Amino acid sequence: MNKTEEGISGPVWNLAELLERVDNDQELLRDLVNIFKEDFPRTMRFLESAIAVADLKNVARLSHTLKGMLSSLGGVRTAAAAARLEVMASAGESASLKSVFDTLQREGASLLPELDAYMAEVGR
Amino acid sequence: MKILIADDETLSRRLLERTLERAGYEVVAVENGKLALEQLSKLDGPRLALLDWIMPELDGPGVCRAVRMRSEQTYVYMVLLTSKGSKEETVLGLESGADDYLTKPFNAEELRARLRVGERILLLEDRLVEARENMRFRATHDPLTSLLNRGAVMDLLARELHRSHREKKTTAILLGDVDHFKRVNDTMGHVIGDEVLMEIANRLISAVRSYDFVGRYGGEEFLVVLNSCDPAFAPGRAEAIRKSISNRAILTAKGPLTLTMSFGVLLSAEWGMRSVEELLHEADTALYEAKAAGRDCLRLAKPTKKTEPPTTTVPESVPLRH
Repeated sequence: MNKTEEGISGPVWNLAELLERVDNDQELLRDLVNIFKEDFPRTMRFLESAIAVADLKNVARLSHTLKGMLSSLGGVRTAAAAARLEVMASAGESASLKSVFDTLQREGASLLPELDAYMAEVGR
Repeated sequence: MKILIADDETLSRRLLERTLERAGYEVVAVENGKLALEQLSKLDGPRLALLDWIMPELDGPGVCRAVRMRSEQTYVYMVLLTSKGSKEETVLGLESGADDYLTKPFNAEELRARLRVGERILLLEDRLVEARENMRFRATHDPLTSLLNRGAVMDLLARELHRSHREKKTTAILLGDVDHFKRVNDTMGHVIGDEVLMEIANRLISAVRSYDFVGRYGGEEFLVVLNSCDPAFAPGRAEAIRKSISNRAILTAKGPLTLTMSFGVLLSAEWGMRSVEELLHEADTALYEAKAAGRDCLRLAKPTKKTEPPTTTVPESVPLRH
């Protein structure tokens, strides 16, 4: 799925690239998805709290962590949103953090069903 | 080969771990820079490392700097993993001591290829270290017997004399010479003479403790240094060393040979702080006395010649047996 929103482009999930990265190891892929489903919501909660109190240092750190896990998993658009948040927080721009966080949340919400669908398909 | 992965982000760490395990590496994975440094500081720690740039406790460049500050340990090949892309940051990473960097998300084939480069560098380092150690050994050891050579054993003796003087202990110096060695060379040839010297070296080494020194002082002269030696036991120990040569025949290609050695023995505590050369001169005088007394015995060098030096009764020197 490709869509463009607020300058964020690319596929929601680049499965082909991820399969290449894991050498088609389905077990590893399942592991990564499970780690992601556990870590992503938790990190998002911490990030939301950090934005609420304008803790820019932690916003930058948590966005960086999200960017890393999303890039590794091939969540291209969500990773781009996290990268934008990291850049803003590192530059001390706090004004539009919340709106970029909302974008990040929306992108994450579109990624998760794709992961679940794939896992259901290979699990059959 | 052992490899360290340091990344605080679980998913990337797991991905790296599995990728590298599949490539045949023994993986050690940690979640921060401080733990990475601990692993890399171990004596048998990994020599290849993949370090994430941003980590809690200590970041990737910080780990690189800390590792490079050590001079005594073996080389660690470090690759920084970064999502940063600017040239300035690349330069900063490499100048912190990293050997290479890789941009996340990585491509598995590229990662493996870059690690193979690291392995080649480490192999080259191993060869250089081995060559340096060989050169160091050759510079300090006698090529025939593999004992310390004259220069090396005298350096060690000088150091040991200072230490024993400081700690008010005694160093025993035994200067020994193989009796009638010229006869072996003249009648049986130099090849057999070399065999004899090698066996004598082995016996001397076997007769001392691991922290004593034995060196080849000259042609058939050997210097034995007994560190922290109780003066009361020194003559007995010297006697045991002497007997380790004479108590059984040396087996050579031309049959067994029974040989003996004479020794001049000196106890450093009786002489105060003297130079190595002075003390060796005194030990040599005592050795000469042992030779004059019929060989196959030892004589103790004493600072005051008025007192009769203690002697050890020894049997007559045994002639060569063919």
